Amino acid sequence: MTTKATARSARRRRSRFALGLGIVAVPLVLALLGPLFTGDPGPRSASFTLGGGHWLGTDFVGRDVWRQVLHGGRTVVLTALAATALAYLVALPVGLVSALTHLRRLEDVLMRPLDVLLAVPSLLLILLVASVFAPGAAGLALLVALVNVPDAARIVRAAAGEVAARPAVEALRMQGETWWRIAVGYVGRSSLRTLAADAGIRLTGVLYLVSTAAFLGVGVAPDAADWAVMVDRNRTGLLVQPWAVVVPALLIVALTTGTNLLFDAALEKTPRTKGRRP
Amino acid sequence: MRNSTDPVAEIRDLRVEIDGRAIVDGVRLRVRPGKVTALVGASGSGKTTTGLALLGEYPPGATVTGEVLRAGDAPAGYVPQHPAAVLNPARRVSALLDDLARPQVRHLPRSERRGAARELVLRALADAQLPDGEVLLRRHPHQLSGGQQQRVVLAQALLLGARFVVADEPTTGQDALTKSRIVQQLAAVAARGIAVVLLSHDLDVVRALADEVLVMRDGRVVESGPVRRLWSAPRHEWTRRLLDERRPVPEGGTSPDAGPPVLEVRDLVAAHGRSTVLRVPRITLRAGECLAVVGRSGSGKTTLARCLAGLHRDHRGEILLDGTALPRSLRHRDRARLAAVQYVFQDARAAFDEHRAMLGQVARTAVRLRGVDEHTAVREASAMLGRLGLAGDLAHRLPGELSGGELQRAALARALLARPRILVCDEITSGLDTVTRRALLDLLAGLLGERDDLSLVLVTHDLDTARLADRIAVLDAGDLVEQGPAQQVLTAPRHPFTVSLLEATAHLSSGNRSRAGT
Repeated sequence: MTTKATARSARRRRSRFALGLGIVAVPLVLALLGPLFTGDPGPRSASFTLGGGHWLGTDFVGRDVWRQVLHGGRTVVLTALAATALAYLVALPVGLVSALTHLRRLEDVLMRPLDVLLAVPSLLLILLVASVFAPGAAGLALLVALVNVPDAARIVRAAAGEVAARPAVEALRMQGETWWRIAVGYVGRSSLRTLAADAGIRLTGVLYLVSTAAFLGVGVAPDAADWAVMVDRNRTGLLVQPWAVVVPALLIVALTTGTNLLFDAALEKTPRTKGRRP
Repeated sequence: MRNSTDPVAEIRDLRVEIDGRAIVDGVRLRVRPGKVTALVGASGSGKTTTGLALLGEYPPGATVTGEVLRAGDAPAGYVPQHPAAVLNPARRVSALLDDLARPQVRHLPRSERRGAARELVLRALADAQLPDGEVLLRRHPHQLSGGQQQRVVLAQALLLGARFVVADEPTTGQDALTKSRIVQQLAAVAARGIAVVLLSHDLDVVRALADEVLVMRDGRVVESGPVRRLWSAPRHEWTRRLLDERRPVPEGGTSPDAGPPVLEVRDLVAAHGRSTVLRVPRITLRAGECLAVVGRSGSGKTTLARCLAGLHRDHRGEILLDGTALPRSLRHRDRARLAAVQYVFQDARAAFDEHRAMLGQVARTAVRLRGVDEHTAVREASAMLGRLGLAGDLAHRLPGELSGGELQRAALARALLARPRILVCDEITSGLDTVTRRALLDLLAGLLGERDDLSLVLVTHDLDTARLADRIAVLDAGDLVEQGPAQQVLTAPRHPFTVSLLEATAHLSSGNRSRAGT
């Protein structure tokens, strides 16, 4: 009975993994490979029309929506992924160092400036910097990463702090183990579950932030092929030609939902089955 | 009325199986009112599984056959080994107990309920040997000592009107004085006509408390009978081995009194934050000597050990190794000095990386502290583990797949690979059953005999363990109250605290049962 239950849960976990993968694959493949499959732009038609050789109709300036969808994912997806990776690239060492050091002052030097940054609303900061520097896609990724570092660093420090207090860390020190082995090999590895869960949430947050920024014209041109920009520009024609809004919006939703499903499935423990009398 | 000898609970031919492996096999057990039934055995012998079966609980994924009967659905109480785990940390003791008292006073008029519930709670606390209950009621669980938490859990069981109470290792890790208090408290519970099922590997406590003893091994009951018969005439070989542990004989006088000390502690004052927790004017340790540091929990003995190992940096005074001062923190000790003083942790499970196989972790000591190459280190580690009884497949397992005794051996192997001059062992036997403990202590004694440049600092609350030592230092509330040759401290103690500690130990092992009210 119990082995059946275990097998069932394993199957459920696998199917959940497959579902997450399937959902996340659609926007990812479209975003990364889409630009390779687009032909010539072709002549422009009238705005917000359906049919006439256009699969998904035309957008607010009469361009083919399908072509725009194929072109418009790369910036959003790459910026979001790059921003999340960058944020962790900074947050991991900062969090690990401040969790493992016994020097109060070093911890203050590392964490306090981040706390100041934490107090500024992220979108406000992005808009402020954007109004001065007018950043491109790479600049936007940097900006979004910057506003995410304080949160991520705090989470890393909290998760690592608990592990760093375990006797195992003292035992490793007693063995004369290197900082790298202690910090990454043990503390980092033991906090992996928490950090992976946070990365899943963070990617979602970053996606929305990048979309919102693009929505507001930061990082991309106002008429660029970009899923977020498409949603914004085409919403005037929503009732006439919904696909220009619905398709890119669905793709963004699929990306975030799929990512979270994937992380959930990857982190799920095999559920404990309660022993029962036969 | 029910006959007073009718069992309140009974287990018939219980078999608990996980993945085809029997954890408990063919256990029969009767729990009688007012009697203490003890389940004795090494860790992993199925004691806890049997105890929990009485409460109707089984490990996850278990297949269970056999019968567990409880007279008239008698409510049962469970006092776990770590009582903090079952007390809601966010609520005060009064709330925890009130919740159980409220339903019992529902028949009263609303205005009287509060007072009646209060009275029930106070009576339960008094019955659980917490006479100053009023003060405790306002506290949160974390503001209580481990012993007090245990008694609050017991009070919860009494409030429910439990007909029997299952106590899981209630004395593990406690000093002799606390132990005798726990014995009194459980005896008082039994005196009230409640059956007590005691799961323990502490034979002194079992002898002092139990009426009936079941000796378990590998899930089977190998022998059962009244406590007196079992002690005087054990029938089964395993029982004989278990009981025969009595007192490792102090060798005494083998260590050379001459020669300069390897380690010297001078005017050590250690603090936790603002409060001073340890004052040691002078302690010395010679080569080949074993020093036992004895005291109750909270006496500062672990802090002393951690100061020596460089794990507690918040201290003044000097710790000299061969006449030169050791840096306070191990971060500032070089490889040779790190290797010279090694420390073995109380909680072996928590002291290993749970993701890596044992062999690799142990071998790292030789790589890092002695500069041996990876290949040789693994070979040395494997040989060392083999010598300590962890041969072959065991060495390649993850820490989670090893038992407490095996982990502690691996921890010893890890420290020994550094070829230390001084090995600091912090309560390394406290969580282990008698057979495993004896084996580990024999191992330590053997190591001391083999290598005359190795000295041992043995931190323990257990005077029996301290008998292994050449010299004993006694700590009480952070002060070094007595220090001298083991023989002298154990037979002719000078300080009143040492006397009381010895008395409590003697009292427990003599098997006297001081039942309140009978």
